[in-house]
Amino acid sequence: MKTSDLPSLIPCSPVYDGWEPKDIRGGYSSDLLSDVMSKAKDGYVLVTIQAHKNTVAVASMLGLAAVVLCNDRPVPPDMVEAARDEGIPLFSTPQTQFEVSGRLWTALRGDAP
Amino acid sequence: MPFVRADLHNHSCLSPCGSLDLSPAVLARRARELGLDLVALTDHNCARNAPAFRDRARREGLAALYGVEATSAEEAHVLVLFAASEDALAFSEFLEAHLPPLLYDTRLLGDQAVVDAQDKILDLPEFYLGAALDLGWDEVCAEADRRGALVIPAHIDRPAYGALAQLGFLPAGPYAAVEALRPQVRGEARGYPVVSGSDAHYPEHVGRRPFGIELPGDWRSGDGTVRLEILRDALAAGLARPYWETGSRP
Repeated sequence: MKTSDLPSLIPCSPVYDGWEPKDIRGGYSSDLLSDVMSKAKDGYVLVTIQAHKNTVAVASMLGLAAVVLCNDRPVPPDMVEAARDEGIPLFSTPQTQFEVSGRLWTALRGDAP
Repeated sequence: MPFVRADLHNHSCLSPCGSLDLSPAVLARRARELGLDLVALTDHNCARNAPAFRDRARREGLAALYGVEATSAEEAHVLVLFAASEDALAFSEFLEAHLPPLLYDTRLLGDQAVVDAQDKILDLPEFYLGAALDLGWDEVCAEADRRGALVIPAHIDRPAYGALAQLGFLPAGPYAAVEALRPQVRGEARGYPVVSGSDAHYPEHVGRRPFGIELPGDWRSGDGTVRLEILRDALAAGLARPYWETGSRP
């Protein structure tokens, strides 16, 4: 599955356009970025409500495939700018972390080793 | 230059998690008994006990700052400090409009008492003051800075509600200093001056983690008000010594 497949899997929309689709290898759901830094891995989708530019920095550092921002959290402009600079796809959804994680997990189960 | 013993992070009975026994009067009295010179009152998202603290601090001969410990949308805590209680109250009013209307149960969450200088209860706010504001970290810090406050990220190294845990690392900001619980061994403070603070919630917490700072003789104006810019400059000049450097816990 690729990041470009996310909008067909969950009701979400890309926060900006023009990013390169990446392969999704897994997912992690958390709002504590220190926890994300220690648990999320290369190619994971981060499911979170933590709408801050630091989330993009952490995603870039870990090589995450995308960030899905839940609950229609407002996305600060400097976060969008950072995501564009770092090439991290950002998605916004009205769904909760529980709903998004459930759908992602179900879809990725077939891909999982 | 006078060596000032300062503690810029203290709660009172207005904080839901603060003891009802820690009124502004008790905070001022304990601080004076412990030999502190400069003390701030920083209840969660609300400064409505600032007037009572101002009166009692004056009576005890303490220099005081007034402010809040704000909870940003990311659930990270930041201290916002003013020299005038009126400015703290105005900022508090601004924050109040950004608090969510959460159900509040004093039995589970604790009392939130606005009191006067004689410990008489004036009001019991019916919305939860410990909640996260709908303002992001950068917005809270920028607004506080715009109003001339000292902005100090609180207990950055605390596993809960500290900037490092919530945000992974400290974002750049208009900080006069950062408050830490222990020496920042890996440079997490990113070069900002480091202070310690008691984060007192009970009378016995007052003065447990003060810091020392050298300030020029005119750090207080004639009426006793703290000259915030002098304090800001001294912090920037690296003159603050957290309690682990001074070894001076009361």
